[in-house]
Amino acid sequence: MSIMSYNGGALVAMVGKNCVAIASDKRLGVQLMTVSTEFPKMYQATEKSYVGFAGLATDSQTLSERLRFKINMYRLREEREIEPKTLSNMISSTLYEKRFGPYFVEPVVAGLNKKNEPFICVMDVIGCLNEADDFVVSGTSSQSLYGMCESLWEPDLEPEDLFETISQALLNSIDRDCLSGWGALVHIITPERVITRTLKGRQD
Amino acid sequence: MARRYDSRTTIFSPEGRLYQVEYAMEAISHAGTALGILATDGIVIAAEKKVTSKLLEQTASSEKVYLLNDNVICGVAGMTADANILINYARQAAQQYLFTFNEEIPVEQLVQKLCDLKQGYTQYGGLRPFGVSFIYAGHDAHFGFQLYHSDPSGNYGGWKATCIGANNASAKSLLKQDYKDEITLKEAKELAVKVLSKTMDSTTLSSEKLEFATLNLNDEGKVLYHLYKPEEIDTLLKEHNLGGTNESEEK
Repeated sequence: MSIMSYNGGALVAMVGKNCVAIASDKRLGVQLMTVSTEFPKMYQATEKSYVGFAGLATDSQTLSERLRFKINMYRLREEREIEPKTLSNMISSTLYEKRFGPYFVEPVVAGLNKKNEPFICVMDVIGCLNEADDFVVSGTSSQSLYGMCESLWEPDLEPEDLFETISQALLNSIDRDCLSGWGALVHIITPERVITRTLKGRQD
Repeated sequence: MARRYDSRTTIFSPEGRLYQVEYAMEAISHAGTALGILATDGIVIAAEKKVTSKLLEQTASSEKVYLLNDNVICGVAGMTADANILINYARQAAQQYLFTFNEEIPVEQLVQKLCDLKQGYTQYGGLRPFGVSFIYAGHDAHFGFQLYHSDPSGNYGGWKATCIGANNASAKSLLKQDYKDEITLKEAKELAVKVLSKTMDSTTLSSEKLEFATLNLNDEGKVLYHLYKPEEIDTLLKEHNLGGTNESEEK
């Protein structure tokens, strides 16, 4: 029994042309039992950035609440919204603070900075930052997700094409993973707005 | 006679007074005025800036009005450095509440947290009290719009309209005369600039010397905080014939 596969879950983020997409499945389980089918793992950090946490669900919730605290304090002190890159470094520091008793999550950050340039990254449980210019994956289906993303992703996808790509990558990966699934939630972040869509996949 | 009892915060005088706390309030009475008015649909905070110079960077952060969280703002009178410490503490306290309860902190709770901190500095530690008074303006789901005032002693009270800093007594009596219970935000804004114009030291009001902010609800019921830019203050002053530029018309 691994703590990282206790609740199950899958997360993926991709870079497109002046946009980013982040998607997760909606299953919450307690080992083999499914407890909820409305548990997306992403939280909106700022107007143009999202954070997702794959791994232990309680740590995902607690970390998102701690992050809200820090993001609000940042906004009050600096009188501006935090940038995705800065946010990732903040999450990385927060995770490393618990180096010898970590939060069991692997976060994914996706957003547009103030110049609307895309940014995505993933971290391990103790905050090792891994920035990518194509895609990042996390969760119990990460192996399948790597395969799907590597095959399907191409640079400079428009928002609607990016939506199709990320949806297919996620849906087909979680179908091969018993601990992830029960539908998916996708956010496409563009300079004008965030488009959110729910996918109905195999309900098992 | 007071000399023997005023150098430590932690002792009473024979008449039962805490001189250090009173001296702190004396410091505040020399600071720029800040006033707050509670209306049925919002709150106004207006303040006079004491530090004005053409060399001062206007676009840098405010000196008198600060945001504490999404629902509460405050006006400051007194030592700015002391105020910064307390404001940071208040912001942390509000976020800590949000983290623990997943709800925005009720306004009075936030006021109490700050006041409890200020009281500590009058009873133990041997440190001087904070030389700042605050006017808190906020909204919560339990009691709607509220206005509070706190001073260095750690006492606080809820008000319909109040004033701190220099000339606060005359401002308060003016507010008492003209305030009506059913005042609207628009009328409150007018009352705020009128009272300030009468109590401020300088002859004419201009956006350089004023900080002005309002708190109200937008159409979706979310709290909206509006810190007026210099041009907006000028427009407001012109609307009520109270000056507005450096070479301004007299009232």
